[in-house]
Amino acid sequence: METLSIYAPKLVTNKEYIASGHRACSGCGEVLAVRYVCKALGRNTIISNATGCMEIISTPLPETAWEVPWIHTLFENASAVASGIESGLKSLKRKHGYTKEVKVVAMGGDGATADIGLQSLSGAMERGHDFIYVCYDNEAYMNTGIQRSSETPFGASTTTAPSGKNSLGQHTQKKNMAAIAAAHNIAYVATSCSSYPFDIMSKVEKAMKVKGPSYIHILSVCPTGWRCASNLTIKLGRLAVETGIFPMYEIENGKYTLNIDLPKLRPVEDYLKLQGRFRHLDKDITAEIQEKVFDEYNKVKRLAAGNKAK
Amino acid sequence: MKQGDTIEIRWHGRGGQGAVTSADLTAMSAIHEGKFAQAFPSFGPERRGAPVLAFNRISAEHPIRVRSGVVKPDIVVVLDPGLVTLINVVDGLKPGGCLIVNSTRSIEDLQGEFSGDWTLAVVDASSIARELLRVNIVNTTMLGAMIKTAGAIKMDSLTEPLEEKFGARAKANLEACHKAFDTTVIGKITVGGQKKVRTFAVAKQPTWSELLVGCAVTDVGSTKRFCTGDWKSQHPVWDDKKCIKCGICSLFCPEFCINQQKDGYFRSNDFYCKGCGICAQECWTQAIKMVEEA
Ligand SMILES: Cc1ncc(C[n+]2csc(CCOP(=O)(O)OP(=O)(O)O)c2C)c(N)n1
Ligand code: SF4
Ligand code: SF4
Ligand code: SF4
Repeated sequence: METLSIYAPKLVTNKEYIASGHRACSGCGEVLAVRYVCKALGRNTIISNATGCMEIISTPLPETAWEVPWIHTLFENASAVASGIESGLKSLKRKHGYTKEVKVVAMGGDGATADIGLQSLSGAMERGHDFIYVCYDNEAYMNTGIQRSSETPFGASTTTAPSGKNSLGQHTQKKNMAAIAAAHNIAYVATSCSSYPFDIMSKVEKAMKVKGPSYIHILSVCPTGWRCASNLTIKLGRLAVETGIFPMYEIENGKYTLNIDLPKLRPVEDYLKLQGRFRHLDKDITAEIQEKVFDEYNKVKRLAAGNKAK
Repeated sequence: MKQGDTIEIRWHGRGGQGAVTSADLTAMSAIHEGKFAQAFPSFGPERRGAPVLAFNRISAEHPIRVRSGVVKPDIVVVLDPGLVTLINVVDGLKPGGCLIVNSTRSIEDLQGEFSGDWTLAVVDASSIARELLRVNIVNTTMLGAMIKTAGAIKMDSLTEPLEEKFGARAKANLEACHKAFDTTVIGKITVGGQKKVRTFAVAKQPTWSELLVGCAVTDVGSTKRFCTGDWKSQHPVWDDKKCIKCGICSLFCPEFCINQQKDGYFRSNDFYCKGCGICAQECWTQAIKMVEEA
């Protein structure tokens, strides 16, 4: 638990930009991530949202949960629509004396970000549009019933990568979207997690100060797809970080900073055993996962240390 | 399209409670008996915890061609006790049909909720499931009550489908089924027997001509009108003596429905709380307890 959070009510604005009455599953971590992102963004924001859970649960016509301008896009074009909005705002300023500072934000799930919308995201980052991309990553296509994506971790059982006699579930490794974003040489890239509201909010605030593209990747716990109890949402996000499975870091102009640097990582079992999607894993596979976690964590650690030495 | 002998069943549950599995098992058993059967859920945008429907059609004689949802059921099974007063579970139930309810309430008490020429069956499936399966998931337990009351399938034909779906856990599930069969109380509902008349809100959908261009919605934050509070099967209760007013519960509530009161203590808004239990899990002084809905 972050020490800061003990004064929560005094530190966080009461204002919500996404309303109660949304239709997310009981215990949804993704809607929490969106809530914190929106609190940091504030009123002067336009959101372009790829289809997925957050779109479906927030806009059951004729209602909307949104309290900022929000546009529903297709799967593949959230960043293209954000590019258009940002260009339109620029043009309004140049030609019509529009002066308001408005932040353009594109949002999508892991499927929308790492698979289907990747080309439009890459294009928008490469063209240098002034926007923030937020990926809330629940590690599968949850809205349509838990299909694997390129962000689904090794060993997780999904409906399209089911575990069984001859399969351990997902057999590929999780795609590193933060590194892909950083490879576009953008000024700000960060990873965060739905269990760390203060971390999310401070990273969004940093991203807002950047002129040009920035990318935030938020691991978001999904009790339905991860097959865990709904009250464990916050605990599981914390365990993902404390086991080193999901390191939280920033890449500012190419320089890595590890935000939560643990002297000792918890064993991955602590995280895996609470989730039905990993229930079938045996000792050997768990050991393999543990190995891989150390490798990846140390990679980030070295990148961050190299940065300190400079 | 009337299809002679077809029996139609409607299952009422909550997302995550397994009404779909009940329907699946029913159809598999019927097919096992050499009958024709179908099972399918009704999909909406609502998620885990929200009221959901599943349907069955069974015929001993014809292949079943109808693919639409069941609106005039012969049998209605209600998995969640709270749904009886929340939605009109008897909507379209045919005269002479069966209503089968999981509840701790007495049969006399429940008879007063309805008016119609129906059979009513009550079983405390939650207690059975908790005792024999160690979880409050009553989808298999309620099959026992359904078999006893309406006999749409035979108990024996359930064994194989249960094994196929549950493997090693089939035995406990079958036991729960039998216990429900033995303890289900059956009575009658009569026309005019209803003590208190209820009305159920139905959301109005706009017609095409009322939609704004691009389906724009200008009524910001309007989901606030929608009650998600009836999705819950448990609710948080605060012990203020233990509370240090840190606000963590409020920060982590996915319904954004825990607010600080004038006295500085925190409470959830029952209208939105979905009963996820996060607040109770995260409160570091354990000032919050989750209590099952009556
Ligand atoms: C091109 C296209 N393919 C498939 C779909 C159906 N679809 C809608 S949402 C969704 C899943 C979204 O998954 P993700 O982006 O990971 O977000 P999540 O729902 O997990 O938040 C799918 C497959 C679609 N709308 N468009
Ligand atoms: S499926 Fe997962 S991400 Fe989607 S609303 Fe439910 S809990 Fe949230
Ligand atoms: S988390 Fe617990 S101690 Fe903190 S405000 Fe809520 S009830 Fe009180
Ligand atoms: S159980 Fe607690 S955290 Fe969950 S919705 Fe209700 S008030 Fe919010």
